[in-house]
Amino acid sequence: MNYETIVIGAGLAGMMAALGRAERGERVMVLAKGHGSTHWAAGCLDLFAEADDPLGAINQLVQTRPAHPYALAGVAALEQALARVRGVAEAVGYPLVGNAGRNLLMPTALGALRPTAFVPATMVNGEARQLGDGRPTLIAGLHELRDFFPPLIAANLRAQGYAAEGVYLELPPVERAHDFSPVVVARLFERPAFRAALGRQLAALVRKGGYARIGLPAVLGLYNAVEVVRELQALSGALIFEIPTLPTSVPGMRLFHAFEQALTKAGARLQIGGWVLRGEGSNPHLHAVFSEAAAREQRHLARRWVLATGGVMGGGLRAEHTGVVNETALGLPVRTPSGRSDWFQARFLDEAGHPIFRAGIAVDAQLRPLDAADQIVYTNVAVVGSALADFDPIREGCLEGVALATGFAAGQL
Amino acid sequence: MDHIELSLTQSLDHCIKCNICTSACPVAAVTDAFPGPKYVGPQAQRFRHEGQPVPDASVDYCSGCRVCNQVCPTGVKIAELNARARAQIVAERGLPLRNWLVARAGLVGRMSCGPHAPLLNFGLRLTPARWAVEKVIGIHRKAPLPASSTYTFRAWFRKHRAPTTARRQVAFFHGCATNFYEPHVGKAAIAVLEHNGFEVLLPKQQCCGLPLISNGDFKAATSAHEANVQALVSYARQGIPIVGTSTSCTLTLKEEAPEILALHSEDVQIVAAGTYDIFEFLRSLAERGELKTDFRPIERHLPYHQPCQYRAHRLGSPAMDVLSLIPGLVLEESHAECCGIAGTYGLKQEKYQIGMDVGAKLFDMVKRSGSDLALCDSETCRWQITHATGVASKHPIEILAEAYGLEL
Repeated sequence: MNYETIVIGAGLAGMMAALGRAERGERVMVLAKGHGSTHWAAGCLDLFAEADDPLGAINQLVQTRPAHPYALAGVAALEQALARVRGVAEAVGYPLVGNAGRNLLMPTALGALRPTAFVPATMVNGEARQLGDGRPTLIAGLHELRDFFPPLIAANLRAQGYAAEGVYLELPPVERAHDFSPVVVARLFERPAFRAALGRQLAALVRKGGYARIGLPAVLGLYNAVEVVRELQALSGALIFEIPTLPTSVPGMRLFHAFEQALTKAGARLQIGGWVLRGEGSNPHLHAVFSEAAAREQRHLARRWVLATGGVMGGGLRAEHTGVVNETALGLPVRTPSGRSDWFQARFLDEAGHPIFRAGIAVDAQLRPLDAADQIVYTNVAVVGSALADFDPIREGCLEGVALATGFAAGQL
Repeated sequence: MDHIELSLTQSLDHCIKCNICTSACPVAAVTDAFPGPKYVGPQAQRFRHEGQPVPDASVDYCSGCRVCNQVCPTGVKIAELNARARAQIVAERGLPLRNWLVARAGLVGRMSCGPHAPLLNFGLRLTPARWAVEKVIGIHRKAPLPASSTYTFRAWFRKHRAPTTARRQVAFFHGCATNFYEPHVGKAAIAVLEHNGFEVLLPKQQCCGLPLISNGDFKAATSAHEANVQALVSYARQGIPIVGTSTSCTLTLKEEAPEILALHSEDVQIVAAGTYDIFEFLRSLAERGELKTDFRPIERHLPYHQPCQYRAHRLGSPAMDVLSLIPGLVLEESHAECCGIAGTYGLKQEKYQIGMDVGAKLFDMVKRSGSDLALCDSETCRWQITHATGVASKHPIEILAEAYGLEL
């Protein structure tokens, strides 16, 4: 009802933009199809994976690639966005630690090492430079938790020269018998008796094996993970770190929750389950968007809009078999390789990446969408995050960084 | 294969197994009896075929709250898959007497409403009576049963003298709860609508059929919906909005009956397109500047729970939007997925505790608020909230009527 800004999409980019606008005193709503990118991702902040010094690399990149979203948002926006997101997480007792000037190397659920700039405090003890201090690491899990195999993780760490062993713990007695998704186990970790029982098992293993640190799946509580880690450290006598699991991602849910709290506090509204089908506007203004609802569409009115619907994965872009890529919410023009045959390089692992992964919406310096002739489609729309053209969020390892920087910029424009 | 079945079959291919639905499901969070929407929805659906035995009966533990649909990032119609799967079980194994009974809210209401209601209400408060009801029928002895009214809403309406100044018309769908248990909710709605210049018409109507749908009795649900469509379609064709105070009834008329029962005649579609929840309707008036705003301030801080069946309309929070126009009134949203009752789910002996566990977050929030009143749009949720917390509950339309200073 009479919003000043409506943000379409509830990933990091959309929530960052919404927070910015709400904190400026606007009436803001976030309209999203469902839960999404936060719940799928590891809950870390990737800024630029290909360099040891992401900020340094980004400073160079904005000179050489002026159409890259980082160049449009500006490095200052990225730095302010990082400070803001850390504040949001800190406010729910879930600090994010790291350094924009130096990537951390974090073990994955396969035991590979993945560069990222900021991680929750619950993960940081697993950083590779710590793992390499010569003292042994234990990777522990539960048979009942799907898709997390401590012996596999430990073997892969050993193959990279880190002293690590894998072990399965015994599930403490619980009334549940069937389903142990990451979220179910995270809820169990919120029970003191469950933690205490596992803590005793870990203490016995530490006494026997002399482990300096223990890696556990990132399911150590939904909303009080820092406390859980602290308690398990006290019980086991070793440092504890979380390793991200397959979705649904508990660290991602914590981040979503932190933003939800911040947005509520700032007076913004969230409508989850509101799938935007189309917009209605006449150049250069978008007047309304319509979301799917029971029996008929719901019309939304606002003065200003932020499109934060993501790329192909998030559902913001849809690639048709005909070779056409559509922007799904407002039908904005999408920059794509000219034909289907130009989507991919000849080699699967080509170092330059595949052109189709840089498809997206081209924008001007104020993130306003442009058509093929570089004319502004809507002056009151800003596009943020993975819906943008001219970058490859996965290969460049900058998905969260771009989401936050552009989301922050759209929040201040 | 009707077009809904086709879209359900296709929609299950949209499932990317991310488990977001299962992570958000309030029932799977508290019991192993329900393994979660992903398993009994898109996954088990691949094993359900006509003429084949039902592969897994755990779908009966789905409460139908539709949180899964709401959070699904890829648009899978999980709740609809589950509703149809339950009907297949009922078709194979028959409907238990208890479910037959709780699914017939109108019939039960009609029998219990009237001058004898106080006696019946007294009887149903007696522990031995409830014990017997649990043993014989399977309705949990503690489950919140509504108190029957001594008069029906329709009887009151017949004697009601409407103002003669009305410029426009609406048709009111009161549902079973307002007619037999809570006529005061209907009175408040009529007062608000008349205050805003509407003449309120009262079409013939019967139970919307939702309890029949959620207990898998699709045959009876279909005849209920067809009868309602027949009674309502002339209003909808004249462009007279059909407005209801029960969010589940209006959702059933708008979507659940057509979608789940596969009823797609032109009349069904016209009725669906012409039906509104009352706050959806009032909000659209407000957006056009047509809602009266001569409110008295209400200096109160009240907890508000938006029922899962209201969120399933996918309209945001219309009651919050409209009530925010009342000076002084501050609403605190529950942010709880579901109260646990889910219509008739939490009444059942084997599901009562699950319902109470599902609602625990909401009950905590209501109790912590320190308020002596909670607001909620759906009747069974109000009864559940009051049962679990001891805090009185009202429909938001009652507060709106109060803010207008209307005599009820």
